[in-house]
Amino acid sequence: MSSDSFPQWAAGVCAGLHGAGSRHVIYVPDNPLSHVLRVLRDRYPDVATTIATREEEAFGIAAGLYLGGARPTVMLQSSGLGNSLNALTSLLVPYQIPALILISMRGDAGEWNAAQVPMGRAVASICDAIEVPHATAELPETTAETVALVGKTAFGTRRPGACLLPRRLTVPATKVGQ
Amino acid sequence: MTRGAGTSAVTGMTRLDATRRIAAWLGDDPAVPIVASLGHPAYDLFAAGDRDANFYTWGSMGLASSIGLGLALAQPKRRVVVLDGDGSLLMNLGSLATIGWTRPVNLVLVVWDNALYGTTGGQDTATAHGADLAAAARAMGLTAVETVTTIEELGRTLDRIDGEPGPWVVVAKVGENVPAVKPPLDCVFIKQRFMAAIGNAEAATEGAPI
Repeated sequence: MSSDSFPQWAAGVCAGLHGAGSRHVIYVPDNPLSHVLRVLRDRYPDVATTIATREEEAFGIAAGLYLGGARPTVMLQSSGLGNSLNALTSLLVPYQIPALILISMRGDAGEWNAAQVPMGRAVASICDAIEVPHATAELPETTAETVALVGKTAFGTRRPGACLLPRRLTVPATKVGQ
Repeated sequence: MTRGAGTSAVTGMTRLDATRRIAAWLGDDPAVPIVASLGHPAYDLFAAGDRDANFYTWGSMGLASSIGLGLALAQPKRRVVVLDGDGSLLMNLGSLATIGWTRPVNLVLVVWDNALYGTTGGQDTATAHGADLAAAARAMGLTAVETVTTIEELGRTLDRIDGEPGPWVVVAKVGENVPAVKPPLDCVFIKQRFMAAIGNAEAATEGAPI
């Protein structure tokens, strides 16, 4: 696939995290995030990517990266937020360890899988409950700016911060609901 | 409670003895980061000698090895030591797979294997009933793996670590001891002190031009 085929939102995510100074991405993959990974591989050779076996582990690695002087990004599907809560609430939040968190949403508008809906609907409330600020990337053309701002706020204020990537952004209109 | 149902026989060293041996090994370099798993491993690290480059976790059970991996990836020229527990590592066995894949040569993962959940009252862990964490590490592609049961064996392995690249996994069979002291409680203090000690002070702690 040529670089011309990169979705604008995915290119924006990469430009945003790079613009926030992040050079390490720890992730558990999901389908839309595969586009982000392709852009990183093609355009950002200075960004290292590491797969974790589980989202909680990804946050542990991210915490170590920050302690070591890096600005980590964690990418996960919304379903993985549930796997992440103890890491966030007993490590990153109380120690004031920042990370840019990119959450590929399931269970929101356009979802077809009922098993994705409960956590998807709860993501924003959970972030509020554990005091992780969050913003949503609404449009492909504003995604880079939103991601960069969430990242800069996280690293500047030393708190994890989440940018939600809704399905209406990440899934082509022709495929929504399939 | 099922303590004693398995094979958690007390061996030739306590966790505190072994922690002191690790501290002595690193004694001439105050900037080597040590990440300690929550509860008794962290308490014993404090008892063995508080130092700025000690990162005491107060939660996130299972993630000490992951924090160490992140540190090792961020600072590849610096040795990173993790003091984990058997119960904690069992909670995050996937970490061995990720360490086996990424293979940071500077990471030393020490697992205090006392075959019980020492911080929570002494319930058996799976290592009391046949689980072998060294074998698990080897199965995940790690090759520098040792199981030690005495202070002397631990010392010989530490000598090897000085000469052979990692990532190292040292499963140390230890007896449980009851810690008498706790590390500092302030998480942000622990973090800021730690980061400054390894040459990475947060800008917010140093002041900056307007």
